[in-house]
Amino acid sequence: MSGETNSYEIVRRDPRAEWIARNRLHPLHGTISVGEEAEVRGPSGLIRKNPHKVGFIGPNGIKRIDRLKGNAAAAATGRRSGGAAQEVQLPLHKVENPDFSIFVVPDMVGGRLTSQDKDILGQAHKLARSDDGESAVQGVVVAVVFGELKDDSLDTAGVDRLIHLDGEEYQGYCPEQQLTALVHLDATYNPQNWLFPDSVHGGTDLGSRLAARLGERPAVQAWQVDKKTTVCRGASGSTDISRPTPRILLLAEECADPIDETRHEVQPIELGSVPRVISRMQDMGQVSVDPNAIPLAEAEFILSAGNGIHNWDQFHEAAEALGATEGASRVAVDDGFMPRFRQVGATGTWVTARVYIAVGISGAIQHMQGIGQCDKVIAINTDAGCDMVKRAALSAIGDSEEILAELLKLAREHKAGQSEGGDQNAA
Amino acid sequence: MPLNIVSLVSVGRHPQSGRERRAEQDGRAVELGMNLEASQSASMTVLHAGRSVEPVLRNYAGMGLPSLEVLELSEQDDAVPSLAQYLKASDADIVLTGVRAESGESSGMVPYLLAEELGWPLVPRIADIVSINNGVAEILLALPRGQRRSLSVPLPFVASVDNAAPAPRQSAYGPGMRASIDASQVTAVTDSAREQWQEAPAKPRPKRLKVVKAKTAADRFKAATAKPQGKAGKVMKNESAQEQAQEIFNLLLEEKVIK
Amino acid sequence: MFFEWLHPVLIATALALAVIGAVRRANLWRAGQPDQVNLIAGLKAMPKRYLHDLHDVVERDKYMSKTHAATGGGFVLSALLIILVHMLDIDSKILAWALLASSALMFVGAIFVFKRRLNPPSRISKGPWMRLPKSLLAFAGSFFILTLPAAGVLPEGFLLQAGNVLLTVVLTALIIWGMGEMFFGMSWGGPMKHAFAGALHLAFHRRQERFGGGRSTGLKPVDLSVVQEFNPGTSEQQVLGVSKPKDFKWNQLLGFDACVQCGRCEAMCPAFAAGQPLNPKKLIQDMVIGLAGGDDSKYAGSPYPGKEVGNAKGGPEQVITEGLVSAETLWSCTTCRACVEECPMMIEHVDAIVDMRRFLTMEKGDTPNKGAEILDNIIATDNPNGYSPASRTNWAADQNLPLMRDVQQAEVLFWVSDGAFDMRSQRILRSFVKLLKAANVDFAVLGDEELDSGDVARRLGDDAAFQNLAKRNLETLSKYKFSKIVTTDPHAYHCLRNEYQDLGSDALNGVDVLHHTTYLNELVKQGKLKLDSFNGGTVTYHDPCYLGRYNGEYEAPRELLRSLGIQVAEMERSGFRSRCCGGGGGAPITDIPGERRIADMRMEDVNSTGAELVAVGCQQCTAMLEGVVEPRPEVKDIAEILAGQLIEEVH
Ligand SMILES: Cc1cc2nc3c(=O)[nH]c(=O)nc-3n(C[C@H](O)[C@H](O)[C@H](O)COP(=O)(O)OP(=O)(O)OC[C@H]3O[C@@H](n4cnc5c(N)ncnc54)[C@H](O)[C@@H]3O)c2cc1C
Ligand code: SF4
Ligand code: SF4
Repeated sequence: MSGETNSYEIVRRDPRAEWIARNRLHPLHGTISVGEEAEVRGPSGLIRKNPHKVGFIGPNGIKRIDRLKGNAAAAATGRRSGGAAQEVQLPLHKVENPDFSIFVVPDMVGGRLTSQDKDILGQAHKLARSDDGESAVQGVVVAVVFGELKDDSLDTAGVDRLIHLDGEEYQGYCPEQQLTALVHLDATYNPQNWLFPDSVHGGTDLGSRLAARLGERPAVQAWQVDKKTTVCRGASGSTDISRPTPRILLLAEECADPIDETRHEVQPIELGSVPRVISRMQDMGQVSVDPNAIPLAEAEFILSAGNGIHNWDQFHEAAEALGATEGASRVAVDDGFMPRFRQVGATGTWVTARVYIAVGISGAIQHMQGIGQCDKVIAINTDAGCDMVKRAALSAIGDSEEILAELLKLAREHKAGQSEGGDQNAA
Repeated sequence: MPLNIVSLVSVGRHPQSGRERRAEQDGRAVELGMNLEASQSASMTVLHAGRSVEPVLRNYAGMGLPSLEVLELSEQDDAVPSLAQYLKASDADIVLTGVRAESGESSGMVPYLLAEELGWPLVPRIADIVSINNGVAEILLALPRGQRRSLSVPLPFVASVDNAAPAPRQSAYGPGMRASIDASQVTAVTDSAREQWQEAPAKPRPKRLKVVKAKTAADRFKAATAKPQGKAGKVMKNESAQEQAQEIFNLLLEEKVIK
Repeated sequence: MFFEWLHPVLIATALALAVIGAVRRANLWRAGQPDQVNLIAGLKAMPKRYLHDLHDVVERDKYMSKTHAATGGGFVLSALLIILVHMLDIDSKILAWALLASSALMFVGAIFVFKRRLNPPSRISKGPWMRLPKSLLAFAGSFFILTLPAAGVLPEGFLLQAGNVLLTVVLTALIIWGMGEMFFGMSWGGPMKHAFAGALHLAFHRRQERFGGGRSTGLKPVDLSVVQEFNPGTSEQQVLGVSKPKDFKWNQLLGFDACVQCGRCEAMCPAFAAGQPLNPKKLIQDMVIGLAGGDDSKYAGSPYPGKEVGNAKGGPEQVITEGLVSAETLWSCTTCRACVEECPMMIEHVDAIVDMRRFLTMEKGDTPNKGAEILDNIIATDNPNGYSPASRTNWAADQNLPLMRDVQQAEVLFWVSDGAFDMRSQRILRSFVKLLKAANVDFAVLGDEELDSGDVARRLGDDAAFQNLAKRNLETLSKYKFSKIVTTDPHAYHCLRNEYQDLGSDALNGVDVLHHTTYLNELVKQGKLKLDSFNGGTVTYHDPCYLGRYNGEYEAPRELLRSLGIQVAEMERSGFRSRCCGGGGGAPITDIPGERRIADMRMEDVNSTGAELVAVGCQQCTAMLEGVVEPRPEVKDIAEILAGQLIEEVH
């Protein structure tokens, strides 16, 4: 890290880390990192400052030392935007000689950890920790990642060891090959537990396959797990089943808090050869689905038109540019501007979109029934008093045509920016 | 040779009333089977492992099934051994199930265990079986949010049917009452592991709050005084259309619906 | 001589053919299912029913009622006298003069029929019906002339004179034409069939209670036990509801034959007006095609909107929805009963429509649009939208309502209905509770023990679901003591009052089932509610079908409005002619597309009175009318209006 950037950096304190550093009896005491940055932890764990590196150049060109130790948020805000704020270096959690291992197979959607993956790594550490007082055993958390890996936050997410399998046999859809690898790993490392996210992104499937192959009875939709007991949801989420914690766990979202105060080694484990299987299921690739062909009920992002749309060509263009699935109020359907299967509401489709933009829709109760499950509703309407605006997380009061025109522009600029490969439009 | 399809059905549970019903995914499995019957001149058996007096079976029958097969089991019994035994003895080409049962343990393991037992491929979460030619089926898998993946899988196989598959046809009272329910006695295996478990009505799980890890006093102060995420949304009245659109666009980016 | 026996023989032949035709026709009806009717009593009562009940309806069109009295009365008299005078050759001047008079009367009537047909309204069928006035004239005129000699006006044997041969030939031709239409056509399917079938229909009507000013609007229950049975003497499984024309009761088939194609039903039908593919007149005519076999190429009236005439085929043994009537037609009906109310022949369109829907739902599993989902919900959660049954009383969390379970008895049981789950309807419920409390009524609710009344399930054809709900509701009701049930929902009101009685329970014996407007009116009259007068501009009132036509309550809501000093600005279509809001019969659920929305048309009716507020007495009407896009007049239930004018006493 160069002094130049340092000169604009704000020193941030991590009171907990400092406390751990001071407290020699703390289990994490040894893991607190010793960096070579401006803030340096001395052998005692206390932060030592290198006065030559600390501080910033004031407006008049004179170097100033921040004696407020980073607590001067107010004083600093003006400058924060100037330089990239440096994240505080978290203490490194090291596992030298683990007594056992917890294997986690994260979903890694698009090569990145999902929030559920992070929860499960958090859960893994709860199981790996020797906090029951009696024994001083220590587990290690091993992540098994298939295919593409883009995430550079595995360390802060809690991965002690990493097994990365990305040979060509792991490209595309290959659960049979993945299963073979997991079975191989199971035989090689005999992990204490296998943890999978119970998710539609593949975790449930892989976990179930492994359980069936190993003849283990997994806990699914597990949401409260310790070393002895697991509570999982049964009967489509209507009951809690308490049972001894099994070897294989399919964990629900938010089963545990993600790791956020330590760094981990992400030490790669090199494997010898993993057996290969001839896949019976042949992947013919993902079918490209036009957003408008997605069944309304499944669509994630809907742009919906009502009686307040007057320029229909523009509406369709906007939907296309934004990549949204089109929806409509009944009036728009009745008036013949939209086909019937696009109708959202009591007598149309009940949608589950995460984001629903209602353009010129007043919010009649019959329409609202259809969007009850939508997460974020955005209203575009001339009438600030209408029910849709009351429901919306964000409302733009104004003429639909004007606002859609601007949105259309933004969407096109964004696309253009993307296709140039740059992110000049990101700001 | 005509194709043999077995659709497994279970007792569903209405999410609001908790009342027994035709399970959503199992109904879709039957629907898919019926469609294959029509398009592939296949023949389908609808199979239930459980009590033959179960009234819910009439709801499946009401889809227009002349009969249902039941492997007579009590509630404490493990369905998998009997099903596996039945399927081994049958000449089924395709076994269709739901992804997860709506009642009981809801573990979703049944198709996996059956596939393992039979040594057949398991195709999870299918949305449709597009075609079957020369013993190979072209299948659409349901991916999240309406996306699909195409697979080709040789017969025989086990597939679990996703909610994205075509909705089951309406169940009609008349045919439902007329269908014959053919029960056969099987050797029951009690699910003894489950007897050790404790079951209770689900406790509500509080949604995780956005925890602000306050690193500074100022952050802490901000977190403490910030308006709780209340009902009222943001209303932009006086901004220009351009500003409004920008704000909307930012939200779309933040929500990652625009990539 | 030739001529001497010509006319008697002609008459006898025509009558004989008529009898043969009548037997044949009767056999077509008898293909239907048995139904319990007292044949003798029915026949005896028939003339009175014709003169009273039928004419009460015809009377709504004064011109037509006079015309019909003259023509019809003249014809019946003439026919009898013709037999006596010309066939049996009874030589009596008095009879001959009487015949002259009756045929003259008929002639005059026929002239008016003729005039009506010169420029007929579109609702009236054309085709053979256009010929009818001429046939009537031919019949009346020819027999008048034929009778002149017998009456002594012309010399005996005048017509037989050689010089009058031409006259005689022409006369004979007219007689043949007239008798062909009037006697032969009556039983072989001409326009005059209505007289023959109509008379018998009056005698054997399936809803005998309707005569003498009675009301019979509850649907008849389906016998679900036949589901395992076979049709007698065949290996054919019995079906629930009506699949083929022969599945109707025989007297329903007879009723279809009575239709005069006057099109009054068509003119009243909201679905027809909205351009949905339903025309009640055409539907009845298609039923006639079904019972007799054939196609609709000769049908000369308005079609089902958007559907061409000429493609429908059917027969007694053919499934109706496979070629005769499309399912869409059946699902367009709102069961508003406007057609039934208006039909001079007292034909029961709604019964027929629901019978056929029953087959579609309970046998085919083919309820369109949201129908299947709503029925599934009703079965699984006892309410159409699938809400948790345990949340039924959430709306009243702050109302402190006494529960029947706790109090066991009360003067009034307040039937809350599924409005409990709907935020808009809850405003009506709260207003009503406020009024009940203000009047110190001893009341209680069933709370979570109440279930959907079964109205929607029944109108959608799922009588199994209806009967299940009704029985469970009745069982709950039988646990408690109360003397009145009052509800704000006319649909639940109708079920409780008119349909639950068929299910073999005495839970409602001696219980008054009342609509809230009736009950509130009583309270106001007893001085139990102190109300301020209303001065919020012009008010009109929309009669809910299930309150008005189904239950005859037109006055109480109006009296209530008057008690607030409101002069109701009546819509042209109000009272028994009120136009449906479009919300009944599950129509919003099956949602068959048309050219317009029924609710929009009703709102136009409202607008034409200049009203700023439309008062209703039904949560469904409220929802439908409020579904019309703004700007439009405000919509409020009468309970809400009253609650707004309540003078609350400060103690
Ligand atoms: C039984 C029943 C079932 C129904 N089912 C459904 C259903 O399933 N789905 C459904 O949607 N409806 C349904 N309705 C209809 C519903 O009641 C409403 O009539 C309908 O939703 C209104 O549609 P709207 O919001 O597009 O039109 P309006 O109510 O007319 O609203 C138009 C909105 O656009 C705004 N606006 C006007 N001009 C502009 C402009 N230039 N720029 C921006 N905004 C503008 C106005 O301020 C207004 O808020 C049902 C009704 C009934 C009775
Ligand atoms: S059904 Fe009744 S109202 Fe309709 S055309 Fe026939 S007779 Fe007239
Ligand atoms: S009941 Fe009403 S909607 Fe149905 S046919 Fe008669 S008039 Fe038309």
